Amino acid sequence: MKTNSNLERILENGKFAVTAEIGPPKNADPEVIRRKARIMKGCIDAFNVTDGQTAVVRMASWAACLIGREEGIDPIVQMTCRDRNRIALQMDILGIAALGINNVLCLTGDYVTMGNHPSAKPVYDLDSIQLIKIIKGMRDDKRFQNGEKIDVEPRLYIGAVSNPFGGYPLWVDVIRLEKKVEAGADFIQTQCVFNLEKFEEWMKLVRQKKLHERIHILAGVTPLKSYRMAKYMSENVPGIEIPERILNRMSNVPKEQASEEGINICVEIIEKLKETEGVHGIHIMAIGWEEVVPELVKRAKLLPRPTF
Amino acid sequence: MMGQKLKPLEEILGYLKDKQKVVLMGCGGCATLFRTGGEAEVDEMAEKLSKAGKEVLARIKLPLDVYACLLPLSSKYLRKNIDAIRNCDAFIALYCGDGVQVTRSFLEELGIFKPIYPAVDSLGFFGGGPTRFTEECQGCGECILAYTGGICPLTRCPKGLLNGPCGGVRSNGRCEVNPDMDCVWVKIYERLEKLGETNSFKNLLEAKDWSKMKRPRVIEVPRTKLTL
Repeated sequence: MKTNSNLERILENGKFAVTAEIGPPKNADPEVIRRKARIMKGCIDAFNVTDGQTAVVRMASWAACLIGREEGIDPIVQMTCRDRNRIALQMDILGIAALGINNVLCLTGDYVTMGNHPSAKPVYDLDSIQLIKIIKGMRDDKRFQNGEKIDVEPRLYIGAVSNPFGGYPLWVDVIRLEKKVEAGADFIQTQCVFNLEKFEEWMKLVRQKKLHERIHILAGVTPLKSYRMAKYMSENVPGIEIPERILNRMSNVPKEQASEEGINICVEIIEKLKETEGVHGIHIMAIGWEEVVPELVKRAKLLPRPTF
Repeated sequence: MMGQKLKPLEEILGYLKDKQKVVLMGCGGCATLFRTGGEAEVDEMAEKLSKAGKEVLARIKLPLDVYACLLPLSSKYLRKNIDAIRNCDAFIALYCGDGVQVTRSFLEELGIFKPIYPAVDSLGFFGGGPTRFTEECQGCGECILAYTGGICPLTRCPKGLLNGPCGGVRSNGRCEVNPDMDCVWVKIYERLEKLGETNSFKNLLEAKDWSKMKRPRVIEVPRTKLTL
């Protein structure tokens, strides 16, 4: 074990992992996080808190992670390269490790003009791959990016993301994944899977390169709450691709049954993912609908969660 | 070349609120190509300022290829108009911020202290032309084009990513930030494929040495013979 991470323990013991995303509030209310964490307790192995997703000012990921951890779940701090240079990022790495956080997820970060402070100066001193490599160096070589020695190293389980549905040839993303493995990522959470065929194609390339033996892949899933949400996501969110077949299922049921149908679809997708070679878990991004997580996990027969 | 755009007239008139006599100067380099400070634009600006009640003491027009920022070429045009400059309340430069400051320091050396105002907003390096110019280089001081198929992701990707595209690439291969633009990493991959250099995708480019871009930078070149 590289760290004290519960997620690492689950994955290293060959169990199918379940993580879920918590969106932090646009205010200083800790109850929002506590309530969401309480709902998910016992149903997941770790929770992510996003780091200013869509470049909107929200509670800091590390702070919300600490609040959620009080409910007894292992947090994953998300860290984007958008707002901090390598000095600030490394300081935060030391800080979260000192506070007993065990997991970090490295992302590039949505661009500032997508958010609510579009005139902000974007940083991007590093990209996500460089960030992974630096954190790995801090943990395993006890060195900062500049080569200086660290006395007490940050013991963090390092995550990264992958998008099997990007607008480039699939193998481009697989090479990005390979670079992330080489840089030192321990686990991957993917963009939401709706198009299972395309995801399987991506996994095939991953398996050809035997990357699934070197990194734990958690497939992202999102329960759709309504046809409107499905259509909006499909048309407006880069990297989200919802097949016609699923959109039709959402539009063919009466409005009041749409969320039920969304859960059905999500459970079916999880069932398929459980059988996919090289997929070691799922990551639920319920986007403002966190209370659905327990039912999803239960119906996907992923309860009880393993304890050690 | 230094990309540039003319400022709104109201902004320029704002600088001149308490000034009456002005000298205008253009540039025969970038400002001519970007249609901000060529001979025609100096005349246009002079007409507009006259109409607004200002007195134009001189229109210093630099012929094509005479760069305002290159003193060995531009200084003689300044000297030729030195009396007008001494008599003016304000000097309006229809060229980039670089040129503005070169002019300012040249005049200072002659003991002339006049307010100098920019008529353009400078945008940095641009290339191409004659009618469409694009931003391809940002002068980072550590060129990586050898590894990226001759296309600079630092400049062409809004996030400046060095190790491949972000997760935001749209399904049509367009950029997350600007949907009218192709993701530059898709372009780089396509080109490396044609070059048979796809293996270089796998190279991890390390965190960039931004100290090479620490400003202000100064360049000293040897004094060898050069015909200008």
